[in-house]
Amino acid sequence: MNIGSLGGDLLGLIPLGDIVLYINPFHLFMFVTMLIFTFLIAIGRTETQVETQFGTLDDKTKTVDLKEFRARRFLSVVCGIATAGAMITGDLYNLTLFMSLIGILNIGIISSVKQIDVLDSVFQYGLIAMMCSLPLFGGAALVLGACGTVSLLAIQSIKPTAMMIFGAILMFIGACGESGIAPFFASKAEMFRTPGSPFLLIVHLSSLFIIIRVIEVLLIICT
Amino acid sequence: MVPVPPYVPLEIVNMYLPVVYTGLIIGFFSLIAIAMEKRQIHILILTDIVGFAMILVVASVGTDLAESFILPGLVVELAEILAISEILISREMRKIQSTNINKTLAPLPMKYDMEILTTAPNFLTLVLLAYGVFLTGFTGGAIAGGGILLYVLSRKARGLPIVEIEGISGLSGIGWCMWLIALCLFFLLPQYWLLSLFLAAAGLLLKVATKMGIIGIFMREEYGKK
Repeated sequence: MNIGSLGGDLLGLIPLGDIVLYINPFHLFMFVTMLIFTFLIAIGRTETQVETQFGTLDDKTKTVDLKEFRARRFLSVVCGIATAGAMITGDLYNLTLFMSLIGILNIGIISSVKQIDVLDSVFQYGLIAMMCSLPLFGGAALVLGACGTVSLLAIQSIKPTAMMIFGAILMFIGACGESGIAPFFASKAEMFRTPGSPFLLIVHLSSLFIIIRVIEVLLIICT
Repeated sequence: MVPVPPYVPLEIVNMYLPVVYTGLIIGFFSLIAIAMEKRQIHILILTDIVGFAMILVVASVGTDLAESFILPGLVVELAEILAISEILISREMRKIQSTNINKTLAPLPMKYDMEILTTAPNFLTLVLLAYGVFLTGFTGGAIAGGGILLYVLSRKARGLPIVEIEGISGLSGIGWCMWLIALCLFFLLPQYWLLSLFLAAAGLLLKVATKMGIIGIFMREEYGKK
């Protein structure tokens, strides 16, 4: 499918050597939204939790110490930047790398919640993310083998073959596993309203944006 | 269909599809194994096999772009397996400490009962170090670092105090700088390629050797910790 018919009129190309970024209104909107959210997260603070104790009239406050807070904020900001990069890139290769980076960062963000239940769920998520690197990288490699290029600008004019569609389906499975299922596991951490939970929002946001972008890329490859 | 250059042998072109299917079948069977396995450490190890199957599928394409897919793929696999094993360890520690405060998962002190550590470890260390310096580069660094590890182990096995070298991590930084300078020289002054080659090789030697040495010293610190 033509790039123009999916994301609106082509606003321009940014050629950086063999990496060519192309800008649509659609990509530009998602890129800017992601950057704004990343900025909000960068200046945000963790919430302090007050727990009522059983048997007494005391309350217990749970706070996050500065070191852990910094580590979490760093992971969230990098995750936001990676998502923004995945929105604007015009290259299957970069999209794959950004997606796998988001997978690792999601594991890091969720696993910084030190509760046994949450660690249990992030262990399961990490296993699925590791397994899904097979369809993700394998699908991208199959598309590369079938097209001879990973640039979306070049792929859009190639007529889809069976191998390309197979690779695209594999890539979709990989994207689902790397970041699409992350909210189901992050919600376990959110349900308990853990101290410092606002940073988990970036997990939801990045998976939402990534899935939209991946579907657009798959439409470019398959049609 | 993508035109394959004529100088690529026909066997390599014909290997593409079988390798892809092999990778997918290995991945499928390891998924079945993961579904059947119950212990989590085994699941973690089996998951790594899926990663190797990924390398197979990517490598089947066999171009330089595919090679540049393999490197990040390997790094991602490695980072994820490290992160997940850390999660597993910290979760088990939390589980144990929630029932019994005094119990920890920290490894027990090792008991070395090997003849090689008492007979001639110093000579062997010297040989390994000399051979590593002779080889230079990554392999040489690994061998020299192995020599340092053997030395630390033998001192520990004989109950002697280990000389603590504080600057060993600084040496690693110097090696890194040498490598970077060599990389810049390659681009700026290509006529001195031999100098930059040896600079890079010596830098890598220092870097890898001190890395292995650091492993030995850190291991001692971790295990000796109360």
